[in-house]
Parts: sequence; C-alpha cells; structure tokens
Amino acid sequence: MTAAPARRNDAAVPLAPARLQTLQTLGIFCGLAAGAWLGGAEAPTKLVTIGLSPIVISLGMVIGVFLARWTVPALVQGTSSVARDLRAAPHLIVWAVLAGCLWAVANTLTIYAVRDVGLSIAFPLWNSNSLLGIVWGIVFFRELRGATPGRWMAVVGGALLMFIGAVQLALVSAMHMPAMDARRGITAALAAGVLWGTMYIPYRKAYLTGMSPLSFVTFFTVGELATMLALALGESGGLAALGHDLAAARHVLFWLLLGGFVWVIGDLFQQYAVKYAGITRGIPLSNTNQLWGLLWGILVFGELRAAGSGAILRVVLVSIVMAGGAGLIALASVEESEHRRWDEARARETARYGVDPRFTSARAAGADPDAGAPRRRAVDWLIALVATVTLIAFGLMAAAPQIAFSGWAMMFLVVVMVVIAGACGAALWRRTRFN
Amino acid sequence: MTHSRDETRPPTSRWKAVLTDVHFWVPLAALVAGVLVLRWVGRS
Repeated sequence: MTAAPARRNDAAVPLAPARLQTLQTLGIFCGLAAGAWLGGAEAPTKLVTIGLSPIVISLGMVIGVFLARWTVPALVQGTSSVARDLRAAPHLIVWAVLAGCLWAVANTLTIYAVRDVGLSIAFPLWNSNSLLGIVWGIVFFRELRGATPGRWMAVVGGALLMFIGAVQLALVSAMHMPAMDARRGITAALAAGVLWGTMYIPYRKAYLTGMSPLSFVTFFTVGELATMLALALGESGGLAALGHDLAAARHVLFWLLLGGFVWVIGDLFQQYAVKYAGITRGIPLSNTNQLWGLLWGILVFGELRAAGSGAILRVVLVSIVMAGGAGLIALASVEESEHRRWDEARARETARYGVDPRFTSARAAGADPDAGAPRRRAVDWLIALVATVTLIAFGLMAAAPQIAFSGWAMMFLVVVMVVIAGACGAALWRRTRFN
Repeated sequence: MTHSRDETRPPTSRWKAVLTDVHFWVPLAALVAGVLVLRWVGRS
C-alpha cells in the first residue's frame, strides 16, 4: 500500500523529564482509582434478581454506560472538545467504535460466565486481559522496549503475581460454591479476557495519537450500544419481544443503569492510566478491581461467611501478594530509553494518518493546544438533563434489592470510592485539564 | 494552533491506511471470534 507523504516528526516537542515523571505518577494513580471503581461496578448487578436473561442484564448496563459516557465528557470538557479531537484525528472513530464492540461482547460473555461458574472464579479468569494487554503493548506500541531487565521483571512479574493470586482467590471462593457448568463458564470468562485484552490496542492507539479519553469514549459507546442492541434483538427475536423483556425487567433496570454509571467512572480512570502510564502499567493496576470486588463481597454481601479461619487467612495472604504485584508494577517507572520507544510508536501514528505532530506531542504532555476554545454549549446541558431524567425515572420504578447486604459497609466503601475519585479527578484537572 | 486535517491525506488514502493497519485487523479478528464464542455459550 502506498501511503500519502509521511509527516516529519520534527515539529514534535520533547517531553521534559520532570513532566514525564508527573504524568506517569498520575497514570499510576488513575490505574489504582480505576480498580476501586471497576470493582464497585459489579455490586449493583448483584442486586438484580435471578432469572433475567444475560443479554438483558448486559443491555441494561450498556444503556447506563451510554448515558454516562456522553454525560461525563459533556460536563467535564464539553462536546466542542470532542469535535476538536475528531477534526485532528478522524480515523480514530473506527477504533473507538471497534473498541466499543469488543467491550459489549466481552461484557455479555462475563454475564454468562458469572451465571455458570460464579463471580469468584470468572473474575480472575477475565482479568487475564491484563497479561494479553501487556503482550500487545510490547508487540505493537514498543512498551518496555529499551527498559532495563529490572523493569521487565517488575512489570511482567508483578502481573503474573496478580494473576496467580487471583487464581488462588478463585480456588478459595470456589470451595464454597455449588458445582455449575464449568466448561462453558470458563470458556466465556477466558474469551472475555481475550476481548478486553485486545480492546487495549484501540485505547493505546488513540492516546498515543493524542485523543482525549473523554472524546474517545463518546464514540466507543456508540459501538457498545449498537452491538448490544444487535445481540439483544438477535436473542429475543425482534424489537417487540425485546421491548417486552425490558418492560418485564423495568423494576431492576435502575440498578443496571447505576452499575453502568459506576463502570464508566472506573473505565475513564483506566483510560487515563493507559494514556499516561501505558498498557503495561495502567491495565494491571486497574485489575486491582478484584481486590475491591472481594471487599464488596465479604463486607457488603457476606460472602465467605461460611469459610473457616484457614480460608480467610489464605484470602488475606493472597490479597497481600496481589497488592505486592501491583506495587511492583507501580514502581516500574518508564525511563527515558523506553519513552523514546513510545515516541517512535507515536511517530508511526502521526506519519501513517497525517496527524499534526504538534497536536500529538502537546496532548502527550497533557496540554490542550486550544485552551481558549469554548467549553460547554446548550447541547452539553441537554445531554446531562436527559441522563438525569432517565436515571430518576428508572429510580422511581426500581424495586428494593432482593439480596441481603450491609448498608453500613456499602456506605463506607462508597465514601472511600468517592474520596479516591475526588483526589484523582482533582489531580487530573490540575495536571492535564482532563486532556 | 489549528489541527485541521492534513490536506495531503485524502479520505481514500486514509481508508487504505486503516484497512492495511494490523491494529485494525487484530481487534476485528478478536471481535469475530468473540461473537462466535458468545453464540456457542448462548446455545449450549
């Protein structure tokens, strides 16, 4: 294929070492914040009564995700910022939509996996996505290239520690679960891991080019919703049948929408983690969601109550191992030699697609070249209004959760999540204005 | 600073760049495989 004349990268502005360190630290912080919110996102779906089709559950969550993925960018940066990003790199719409399609299929697979083998087993299996993500980051985006052997060991070893720990947690949990269809559930969970691990290719591509995560997710969610609607229509047998299924589930749709909103907050932090710390650091750190999921399960929903002290001790020790793995990764900072390789990957994108390298390098530094442009328009407030009204409407129809849970423990974890999000959000605003 | 489209990159060339990019085909292949697994899981 003959490409159009490549852009020279001599207009790119090198990143100062101090600024690079600041952004990497911010990316690490975002990865850990993502873990807290992605772990909490599973909680609302547990409140849904058994008997709903996995497709309907996934569609309900995706509707909530769609609302949130337009509302948050509209309020934080305004849709005019989204339009600016698209003018700079229109080809990224393809990858945003493709990533959304991957997410939707993976999310649906996880619903089947949880149904067949339970959350405790399915979670670590689909969290293998971080290992595949590391492979793609190395192969396609030159991450860890030029890094010292110590950093290779820290990242790869840390990720393996987390995965092994996750499997151990699953084994402990599985001892207290009834036998279910293991083969189908394990296949679904592993397939979800492959899809989510591959989804990071579009993420990294977009952020190396300079797109803001807030812009990326607005088109990402178009792929999500379109795919889920197609899957739901295919399974239910048509629009009327799907409408009937959704109407029958209207009393629990609020909880699914809420799960979608919580997921989007965590996912946005994950996007920023990939942007500023790379796939190899950002994704394994966001996979600390399993530890948070464990906290929710034990503290809020009373899981492992029937487990003996030996099992509890094993859970604590394995959790420490997983946290240690995350710590290793967090400390494996990106040195200049590796960052030069990231610049090479960035240069490939600008040359191949004719993106202005000044835009790319400015965004890599967390800057907004058009900082003076108008931020929010009437359409942004309209989007927020529609989302709010939708949530309130479904909230008024919602039935009380059909599961025992500790309200105090839930409040505690929610407060912790809000504090983490507030601190991380403030840091993102101060350092990057959410670019 | 403006960031308008590169005038040396017409839309057809951009589409060719997309369709010859391995970053496009790997995720697409994963998506197709995922849909097939989903169909199997849903029907078994």
